[in-house]
Amino acid sequence: MNDNYHVFSDGRLERHNDTVRLVTDEGEKKYLPIENAEALFLHGQIDYNTRLMSFLNDEGVAAHVFGWNDYYAGSIVPERGQTSGRTLVEQVRSYDDPDSRLSIARAFVAGSIHNMRANVSYYHNRDHDFESVIDELERIGDGLDEAGDVSELMGMEAGARRAYYSTFDAILPEGFVFGGRQYNPPSNEVNSLISFGNSLVYANCVSAIRATALDPAVSFLHEPGERRYSLALDIAEPFKPVLADRVIFRLLNRGQLTTDSFEEDLNACLLTETGRKTFSKAFEETLDRTVEHPRLDRKVSYQYLLRIEAYKLKKHLLTGEPYEPFERWW
Amino acid sequence: MSTETSSIDPVEKLLATARDEALDDEFHVTGVMMQYYEVCERELWFVSRHLEIDRDNVAVVRGTRVDDSAYEGKRRNVSIDGTIAIDVLEDGRVMEVKPSSSLVDPAKLQLCYYLWYLDRVVGVEREGVLAHPTERRQETVELTDERVEWVEESIRGVHRVVTSDTPPPAEEKPFCESCAYHDFCWSC
Ligand code: SF4
Repeated sequence: MNDNYHVFSDGRLERHNDTVRLVTDEGEKKYLPIENAEALFLHGQIDYNTRLMSFLNDEGVAAHVFGWNDYYAGSIVPERGQTSGRTLVEQVRSYDDPDSRLSIARAFVAGSIHNMRANVSYYHNRDHDFESVIDELERIGDGLDEAGDVSELMGMEAGARRAYYSTFDAILPEGFVFGGRQYNPPSNEVNSLISFGNSLVYANCVSAIRATALDPAVSFLHEPGERRYSLALDIAEPFKPVLADRVIFRLLNRGQLTTDSFEEDLNACLLTETGRKTFSKAFEETLDRTVEHPRLDRKVSYQYLLRIEAYKLKKHLLTGEPYEPFERWW
Repeated sequence: MSTETSSIDPVEKLLATARDEALDDEFHVTGVMMQYYEVCERELWFVSRHLEIDRDNVAVVRGTRVDDSAYEGKRRNVSIDGTIAIDVLEDGRVMEVKPSSSLVDPAKLQLCYYLWYLDRVVGVEREGVLAHPTERRQETVELTDERVEWVEESIRGVHRVVTSDTPPPAEEKPFCESCAYHDFCWSC
């Protein structure tokens, strides 16, 4: 269940009997076991036809397309999954009520700052001095209640992120200079990794939301319409430090990705196919990691935490019970 | 609770609606609602709102998975007023299958509700039988005064829960573990 399959080669994806078959440009044939799949991640240049699309739709498997510039290009999302008029009505009502929208948006930012701080603390406790950044993140986190509207909140979140990113150059090994966030297209290796990692988090949030009858286009922190599935942008926020950034640090610090894993392309610095494979593998391993959930009383995977987040939001919208964002507790 | 309906006793209202269909009340108490009420009021609220949760991931909602093919042929399914659907045995008794030994009370309440409905609305007195496919023993259930009281209090309870704007808070119960809403309630 809930497996993601990453396809890196260029070629043609087709339905073959009751399976999906990849025919690479070299004529090689591979079969994808999609019965248990949550989603396909297409990284190469892939051709497909409507027959494949309706098959994926019937099987309830999404396809996330990763292009070149900022990596994420779009998703083909099956219709299956839940629909509920009531959920949509409550979601829109909540979006439309400034106080309600603000409090949900604040939760996403609070979760995000908490998890950034957890990362900084981790490296602070292992031969770095990030005292001032930790204080800064704490100060911004404590001040979130003062935000009068969502754009103020966005400003605070941007400030927190700047402080957080200021630690990256010290954490990362020699040879990698970050300098600050630049995207679309990413200008250097670290920016490239952040873009790629964030887009993987985002695509997994799209999958998680699909299971809940929440409308992925109605969001709270981000403006609806910023992307097709702007709610996935909201939910991704607290998860980026835990899912994407830690993978980046790990791969670079262990030398599993080097400057050779990137290529320059029209002012953009992009991961090579091998680089993407390495990253995706480590990312999927992270999704599969489990942690003891204190309330559910069992181990849950990091991937399931995304699903839980969607449940929690839906529950808040339908019952009015408070929404507490995901904050790393381990 | 909505204020306009709370002035009339839900039991009186249900009887009035059932006897005179011109009184169109949206509040229909089904047997399954009674069962949920007894199991968990929060679950009843979720179900009454058609709040479905991720079916492919969790066990099928409780009670619907019993294999009751053992009783095939000896019973007829009868629908009354489009509100309640009951299984009537050859000898005229009303049968309810209990899914498991931990769910005796919910199944019994459902059965008593049917007996009560037949008595008060249709005007026929019947006996009930509570059965479990894997157990030989069947339990006979009669509508005593005490059970009438139980049914009527439960109708009021169901009414209170489904007309409420918010669900009763989650409370850890032995049923939670097998509940389709488990992760929904406890992910916090
Ligand atoms: S998980 Fe427990 S509290 Fe929640 S609806 Fe189910 S039985 Fe009720």
